[in-house]
Amino acid sequence: MNSNTVDLTNCDKEPIHIPGKIQSHGFLITVDIQTLTINYISENTSSFIAADATTLLGLPFGQFENLAGLKEESGQLLQLLKLGEAQKNFDTINPYPVKIDGNSYYLIVSVSGDQYLLEFEPVTLAYDIQNQIGKSVSEILMGKNLRSLLQHTAKEIRELIHYDRVMIYKFLEDGHGEVIAEVKNEDLESFYGLHYPASDIPKQARELYKLNYTRIIADVNTQDASILTHQNAPLDLTHSVLRAVSPMHIQYLRNMGVESSFSISLILHGELWGLVACHNYSPKFIDYKAREAAKLIGKIVSSALEYREDEEQAEQQNNYQTAINSLNFHLTKDEDLVTVLTKQEYTVKDIIGATGAAVLFGQEISVLGQTPDPKQLRGLFDWLKATMNDAVYYTHRLPEVYYPAKEFKQNGSGIIACMISREMDEMIVWFKPEQITFIQWAGNPEKPVLPSADGMLNLSPRNSFEIFSQLVENTALKWTKVEISNVIKLREKIINAINRKAGEIRILNERLKRAYDELDTFSYTISHDLRTPLTSIKSYTELVIATNKSLDEQGKKLLGRVVAGADKMNFLINEILKLARVGRVELELVQLDMNRLIRDVAAEVVSALKAERVKITFGELPAITGTDALITQVFTNLIGNAVKYSAAKSNPEVHIEGTEIEDEIIYKIQDNGIGIAADHHEKVFELFKRMDNVKDIEGTGVGLAIVKRILEKHNARIWFESELEIGTIFYVAFRKQ
Amino acid sequence: MVLPPDIFYVEDDHDFAFIMQYAVKEVSESLTVSIAEDGNSAIAQLQRYEDEKHRPKLILLDLNLPGISGLDVLKRIKEIPFFKYVPVILFSTSDNLNDVKTSLEIGANAFLTKPSGYHNLITCVKSLYDFWFQQNRSIN
Repeated sequence: MNSNTVDLTNCDKEPIHIPGKIQSHGFLITVDIQTLTINYISENTSSFIAADATTLLGLPFGQFENLAGLKEESGQLLQLLKLGEAQKNFDTINPYPVKIDGNSYYLIVSVSGDQYLLEFEPVTLAYDIQNQIGKSVSEILMGKNLRSLLQHTAKEIRELIHYDRVMIYKFLEDGHGEVIAEVKNEDLESFYGLHYPASDIPKQARELYKLNYTRIIADVNTQDASILTHQNAPLDLTHSVLRAVSPMHIQYLRNMGVESSFSISLILHGELWGLVACHNYSPKFIDYKAREAAKLIGKIVSSALEYREDEEQAEQQNNYQTAINSLNFHLTKDEDLVTVLTKQEYTVKDIIGATGAAVLFGQEISVLGQTPDPKQLRGLFDWLKATMNDAVYYTHRLPEVYYPAKEFKQNGSGIIACMISREMDEMIVWFKPEQITFIQWAGNPEKPVLPSADGMLNLSPRNSFEIFSQLVENTALKWTKVEISNVIKLREKIINAINRKAGEIRILNERLKRAYDELDTFSYTISHDLRTPLTSIKSYTELVIATNKSLDEQGKKLLGRVVAGADKMNFLINEILKLARVGRVELELVQLDMNRLIRDVAAEVVSALKAERVKITFGELPAITGTDALITQVFTNLIGNAVKYSAAKSNPEVHIEGTEIEDEIIYKIQDNGIGIAADHHEKVFELFKRMDNVKDIEGTGVGLAIVKRILEKHNARIWFESELEIGTIFYVAFRKQ
Repeated sequence: MVLPPDIFYVEDDHDFAFIMQYAVKEVSESLTVSIAEDGNSAIAQLQRYEDEKHRPKLILLDLNLPGISGLDVLKRIKEIPFFKYVPVILFSTSDNLNDVKTSLEIGANAFLTKPSGYHNLITCVKSLYDFWFQQNRSIN
């Protein structure tokens, strides 16, 4: 004879469907489907019927009524089995009332492998429970949202079965549970809001909850009844209503002071969504019909949940979608991106269930809701920039991969980061807090957890919560698929907006470039065409002066002014031609020997301006890359100015040198001339702008404009320092090639 | 039969042509100049000179002409063996380096930027006269 017992130590691998025992408030016998003989029997059968359990083993079931001393005629129960067999279903038969020794029992039949499972349990309910169910269900369904639906469910179940405490657990995505509704006796400590690690209800137990929608443990303190058999195989009690409970679970309940427990499975989309868990602090048995009523309520609540949860999810996704649409609407307008993302009715924070969001745009950080502080954000952004491979990165355990995040785990244990542009330092990060920090403690948080050496006595919800707390440290709720896809959607919309804007800028740029080219062509042509009539004016005037004998001195003098005017205009036109030509010239970048170029230019300038008294000195003149003719023009202008505007000084000096600084070669042209007044600094490079103090010195105000254009073409920079009557230093910085 | 001019000048700008005539007389009373107003008439005139075996001593050629351009006229001149040793000088307001380069490649003997004003023009013509008519008399 075998009686299979269970090992206490390994709860996760415990084969709880074959405990080899049943709870002793009822008894069990099995009938072989082929031979119709009794194959298994619970040892406590003897205390219900007037026969010894062991002697019944192997006897034909047809004689059971007689052997057991039932009122029914022998063979009647066998007929029942045959009927169920014919119907392929015992649901219509269960529960079948039988009287044993004047007491009422229900017989509940199921199939386990090659055995009919016959379980007898006492009838305790005197009235018909059906009426109550209808009322309960309508009460429950009055709950408009998920929370109130569940709270009503707990309340109605409690009224149906009269347990001290009725809770509703919800299993979260990582398998851990949370108490989301509770109705209890006032003197009991509340478990509402507590979280349990997934291990509290092991996997195989969850599988059984999916098969048996209700489960009762009538009294944790009674001795289980072993199942006796001559068979080798242990009896599968998956569908048994009397199945004995895992000693682990019994201990767990005992530690809480619970003596009886009842559960109803809540199944959503075929998965175990949660449980209605009922605790009683004294032994309590629930009549089969009341259990069936609870099961029915469980099913109704499940389908209501399915509908409500889908509805709430849809509503939430609708809200997210509204936020995305609103953001997109503003993105399509020509608005500042950061303003669009953070300062409208809907912000980036609203597109997912984040508690905070931060937008990095260049150097600027904008935050919404709960986020780490700016310094912590900078660090995080730097880390993301260095490590992100894809456009979107997410984690619900940031402190585990990025240690500095431990400092801000309350605000940012979970992040979704969305890179807009790595080069431009543009990204958005959403935050979720560490779960444990917002999980509320119910009851008395000061109540100490009693440590225990054997581990078993340690099992309690409070203790489970402690274990759970350690498990979920540094952990946020996981980001859902919807949330991640919303972030990806938003990113696409932002990128589109940026691209559209870039496209517009590119078109504008093209147009500007064309206008610039046209202006160059225009300037060139007009200057060219202006020269011919100007030459005529000058030539005829000179011709008149030279050949007309009747002209008096006054007449000659006045016509001389016409010639001078024509000359001046001719000079200006030539300068404009030079400027226009810069725009038309193709760059030919070559290495330039500046030692030669600058010394030549200086010598030429001095001779052209007849300024031999200006002392010109040279420092290092490192080579640069540029177009020979244009760079010559630059230095002719700059050295020319330096010489021209210092020539009137007593000891005029001009110094030229180039220095390598980082990735640039910076030339400076220094003079001790008349200087440029501070209020003119802005205008120096503008066309035709000449300073007040240079009226007596010849010039057109085109030179520096030409210089600037040439340098812009070379991607070089120019700036200057100057003080009136002290001197001027012009700096030109060329990029090293 | 007409005597060939010392200078054959192709110029579409009446003003410039007019001033040139004065400048030439100013340089030397005996110096003669004949003017063609465009490329076609220039080529036609040169054809006649060839037929009559007359050679101008110097050809001045404006670059920007209506119809056939100065450079094309230059090309035609250089194709006629009769004018092989007649110096042709491009005479233009342009100082565009490409124009200069091309004309010299085609066979221009010099490229002069038109001087501005009557006095400068006299200086310019005088210098031409001194060089091509006095010092290099042997060429002709």
